[in-house]
Amino acid sequence: MLIYRGLSRISRISKKTSFGRRWLPSHPLLSGASHSAAAAAADSSVKVLGCREAYSWSLPALHGIRHQIHHQSSSVIEDTDSQEQLDPFSLVADELSILAKRLRSMVVAEVPKLASAAEYFFKMGVEGKRFRPTVLLLMATALNVRVPEPLHDGVEDALATELRTRQQCIAEITEMIHVASLLHDDVLDDADTRRGIGSLNFVMGNKLAVLAGDFLLSRACVALASLKNTEVVTLLATVVEHLVTGETMQMTTSSDQRCSMDYYMQKTYYKTASLISNSCKAIALLAGQTAEVAILAFDYGKNLGLAYQLIDDVLDFTGTSASLGKGSLSDIRHVIYLSLLFIASEIL
Amino acid sequence: MLIYRGLSRISRISKKTSFGRRWLPSHPLLSGASHSAAAAAADSSVKDSGNISLSKTREAYSWSLPALHGIRHQIHHQSSSVIEEQLDPFSLVADELSILAKRLRSMVVAEVPKLASAAEYFFKMGVEGKRFRPTVLLLMATALNVRVPEPLHDGVEDALATELRTRQQCIAEITEMIHVASLLHDDVLDDADTRRGIGSLNFVMGNKLAVLAGDFLLSRACVALASLKNTEVVTLLATVVEHLVTGETMQMTTSSDQRCSMDYYMQKTYYKTASLISNSCKAIALLAGQTAEVAILAFDYGKNLGLAYQLIDDVLDFTGTSASLGKGSLSDIRHGIITAPILFAMEEFPQLRTVVEQGFEDSSNVDIALEYLGKSRGIQKTRELAVKHANLAAAAIDSLPENNDEDVTKSRRALLDLTHRVITRNK
Repeated sequence: MLIYRGLSRISRISKKTSFGRRWLPSHPLLSGASHSAAAAAADSSVKVLGCREAYSWSLPALHGIRHQIHHQSSSVIEDTDSQEQLDPFSLVADELSILAKRLRSMVVAEVPKLASAAEYFFKMGVEGKRFRPTVLLLMATALNVRVPEPLHDGVEDALATELRTRQQCIAEITEMIHVASLLHDDVLDDADTRRGIGSLNFVMGNKLAVLAGDFLLSRACVALASLKNTEVVTLLATVVEHLVTGETMQMTTSSDQRCSMDYYMQKTYYKTASLISNSCKAIALLAGQTAEVAILAFDYGKNLGLAYQLIDDVLDFTGTSASLGKGSLSDIRHVIYLSLLFIASEIL
Repeated sequence: MLIYRGLSRISRISKKTSFGRRWLPSHPLLSGASHSAAAAAADSSVKDSGNISLSKTREAYSWSLPALHGIRHQIHHQSSSVIEEQLDPFSLVADELSILAKRLRSMVVAEVPKLASAAEYFFKMGVEGKRFRPTVLLLMATALNVRVPEPLHDGVEDALATELRTRQQCIAEITEMIHVASLLHDDVLDDADTRRGIGSLNFVMGNKLAVLAGDFLLSRACVALASLKNTEVVTLLATVVEHLVTGETMQMTTSSDQRCSMDYYMQKTYYKTASLISNSCKAIALLAGQTAEVAILAFDYGKNLGLAYQLIDDVLDFTGTSASLGKGSLSDIRHGIITAPILFAMEEFPQLRTVVEQGFEDSSNVDIALEYLGKSRGIQKTRELAVKHANLAAAAIDSLPENNDEDVTKSRRALLDLTHRVITRNK
C-alpha cells in the first residue's frame, strides 16, 4: 500500500517537476539506492539475500526523499492525512468489466458443449484475480502518447479509442492464452479444482478440456490476426511456445537441472513471466512507442512476473502467516516499488 | 489408367494444336465422346432418372473408349513427336516435398530434448504419412502461377518467384504442423495406440507430452504464420484450428437427432477434414496475388477434394480392400461414429435408426447394421456423393483462368488426376 501511495505521489509530481529527469541524478542517496536496487531488480541472477541487504539500507533514504519532495513542491496539494488509496485494481475496474463481457462473447462456440467448456473460466465470479489484464491496462495508460498537434477533437478521440480497443484486445488475448494453458495444465496434472471450483477436466472430462484449450488458442490467434500487426502476433505466439517449453522443463528435468537456480529462473520466466512481459511489450508496440520503451515495458512485465512467482513460491511454504519474519514480504515489495520507480522515471 | 493416358495425350496435343479450341467442334466422334465424358465429369447437376450413378458414368466412359482408341491412333499418326508420360501427381512434387520435410524437421526443433523428440515424432523419415496435403498445395501453387508479363531482369524475376514459392511452401509446412498437432491431440482424446503404423505419441511418451507437443506445434505454426506478414492468411489458418476443434467436438457430443442427420454429418466432415485443405488452398491463391474469384475456386477445389476423400474413407471403413462389406476395419461404427453409408441406409430403412440409437457397444448391433447396409444402397450412394464432390473439384480447376505455361498445365492436370485417385483408391 505504502509503495503505491508513494509512487502515485511521485508520478503526480513528475508531471510538474519533470522528476524523472532531474531528481535521479541529483539526489545522492536516491541515485545510489535506485541504481543498486534497480540493478538488483533487473538482474535476475542476484541472490535474494543480496537484495534484502540493499533494500533495508535504502529504505530510510526513500523515506527521506518522500519528505523532500513534499517540502520542495508547494504547489502540490498534498495532505499526508487524506492520502488517496491508490488501488491499481480499482483504477481499471470498469474497463475490466467491459473486457470480461467481450471475452465471454469471444469464446462463444457453435457446439453447446464446447461453448460451456470454453467459457467455463470466464464466467462471473471465476475470472480469477485478473492480474494480467490489470497490468496491461495500466501499462496502456502509462504509455499514453499524447497527439501533439491539436486535431479536431473527434478525430483525436477516435484514434485514441481505436488504440485503446486494440490494447484491450491484447488483454483479452492474454487472458485466453492464460486460461488455455490452465486448462491443459489441469489435464496434465489431473487437477481437481481451480479457482475454487472444480477443474474443467474434473467436471467435463479430459477430452473436452483439451479441446476447449485448443479452441481458446485458436480464438486468440484469430483475434491476434485482426490486429494486423505481425510483430505482435509473433510476440504472443512465442508466448505459447514458452508456456509449453516451461511446462515441459518442469516435467522432464534431470537431477542436475532440478538443483540449478539458472534452470529454475529460466523455467519460471517461460511459465509465468513470458506472458506478461511479451504482452506488455505488445501494448507498447501498439501504442507506437520506440523500441527502447517497448523493452522497458517488457522488462517491467518480466520482473513483475518473476517477483510474483518468487513470492508465490514463498507463500507455498509460509501460507498467510509471516513465519519467516515480516521483513521478507515488504522487502520483496520494494523490488516492485523500485523497479516501478526506475521505469516510471524513464518513461514519465 | 487407359483413360488418363488418353486424356493426357489429348491435352498435350492441345498445346500444339490449340486442341481445346479447334478439335472439339471438328471431329464428330471426338466431340461427341469428349463432350459426354466431360459433361458427365464436370456437370454435377446432370440428372438421369434422379441420380448420377457410378455405373452410368462408367457407361459413358466405356462408350467413348473405342472412340478414344480411334482418336489415339489418329493422333499418334498425326503427331509423331508425342512421347507417352505417366502423370503421377506425387512424383511431380517429390523433390520439393523432401525440401519441405527437411525444413519441417528443423522448424520443430525444441530446446527441451523430450519436447524435441515428441514434436518431431511424426516428421521423421518414413512416418510423414502420405503427405497428401502438401502435395495438393504445391501443385496448386504451380497451377496458379502468375507469369510476370513484362520481361524484367532475369535475376529480379527469379528472386520474386523464388520468394513467392518459399512463402507458399511455408503454407504447406504450416498445414502439416496443424494437421499433426490435431492428430496428436485426437490420439490422446481417443486413447489410440497406433498411428501411421507405429505407436501413437501418447502411447509411447504419455498423454502429457502428447498434449504439450500438440500445443508446441500449434505455436510454431502461429509463429511461422506471423512471418508471412499476411493477416488474411493468418486468419484463414487460425480459423482452421477452430474448425478442427469444432468438428471433433461435434463428433463427441451429438444428440441422437444430430447423429442421424446428413447435414450435420457433412458439416462435421467439412470441419474435421476439408476445412484445412480448402483454407490452405485459398491461402496459396492469396499469396500468389490472385483475385478473390480465383481464391474461391482454389477453396472450392480443396473443399470438394477433402469431402470426396472423407466419403471414400467412410466407405473403405466398411469394405476395406475387398469390394464386399464387412472386411473393413469397421472402426467408425464400433466407436459409435455414424458415417454416410449408414446415414443413407437409414433413409431407406427407418428401422435401422432404432439400432443406431441403441448404440454399438453390443457387437450384435454392428452385425444388424451391416445387414441393413448390405440390403441398402448406402455404399453406392456414398460413392456417388464422393464422385459428385470430386467432379465439383475438377470443375473448379477447369474454371481457372487460362494459362498455356507447361508447368501450369501439368500441375492442373495433376490436380484433376487427384480428384480421380481420391475416388478410385481402395486403401
